[in-house]
Amino acid sequence: MKKAQLKIQQMAFMLIAITLLFALAGMFVLVFMFSGLKESATALNERNALLLVSRLANSPEFSCGESFGMLKLNCVDEDKAIILKQNSNDYKNFWGVAGIEIQKIYPENNIECNLGNYPNCGLITIYSEKNKGVSSSNFISLCRKTSSENGIYDKCEIAKLIVFPRSEQ
Amino acid sequence: MKKFSKAQEEMMGFVLIVVIIAIFILIFVAFMISRPEKQAVESFEAESFVQSLLQYTTDCRDNLEFLSIESLINKCQKKEKCLDERDTCNVLEKNIKEIISKSWDIQNSPIKGYSLAILSNKQELLKVQEGNSTSNSIGAVQSFVRSGIPTEINFEVFYYRRDD
Repeated sequence: MKKAQLKIQQMAFMLIAITLLFALAGMFVLVFMFSGLKESATALNERNALLLVSRLANSPEFSCGESFGMLKLNCVDEDKAIILKQNSNDYKNFWGVAGIEIQKIYPENNIECNLGNYPNCGLITIYSEKNKGVSSSNFISLCRKTSSENGIYDKCEIAKLIVFPRSEQ
Repeated sequence: MKKFSKAQEEMMGFVLIVVIIAIFILIFVAFMISRPEKQAVESFEAESFVQSLLQYTTDCRDNLEFLSIESLINKCQKKEKCLDERDTCNVLEKNIKEIISKSWDIQNSPIKGYSLAILSNKQELLKVQEGNSTSNSIGAVQSFVRSGIPTEINFEVFYYRRDD
């Protein structure tokens, strides 16, 4: 074999080796990327859903503002919520979601709220469309003004704000 | 001269291969670092829970008002009693135990356990623990200072195979 042929053969082997290295490394990266893709999408959806719940809880229509002392985060005014429930038709397209519910966690109570039984109830369905998807929820403080023999005081309970995003979102 | 130039070529080739491999290792490490996104999302839920817990109004009152969990922690630190003579630390423990058990179900969910510790001046004031600890957990830490006493709340929820 001539020296030139030997060099060409050496180069060919080198090229094959480098191509194989790139192919293997590329495959490794692709497999790794796609294995995390589904998880990333799920995490992103969960994050968006939680942010939506948080955005709703802190919106002026729901939030406590400074009605119960200093400004509180993730605090929903129960009186506002029950009034919103009565006027839910005006707000159906305002938030762009398929449903909004507030469920008291502690003290536990599953009775649907209306103006007749409020505040001795535990579930405020602000509104609900027929085709609700998978919900996302987050903990909130549900506060209201109430009275005892000593006068009016602030009462905050633990609840979950449950939001049903529209499927096209 | 010819020998020297060939040696240089070999060295250049070696360096090139090392650089290429280093780039791939860097890409791999970058992907590994960007993975704990889900942990952050779920910790947000734990943080919201701790915030809501602190704002909960208990049935223990002082001369002015019904006390929130945050105020009750402060009263417990100062060994004060409720207006009806109940011990504030007992009321605090009872309320926290009931609230957590209703909020984080360890019977019919992927949650296997939880732990909440209240540290007052870095000393343990109260610890509530239920279920089992696992290596798969989310958590939240909330700190505040009231009446000059630094307080820290560490809350952790343990999951069983959360990635399934």
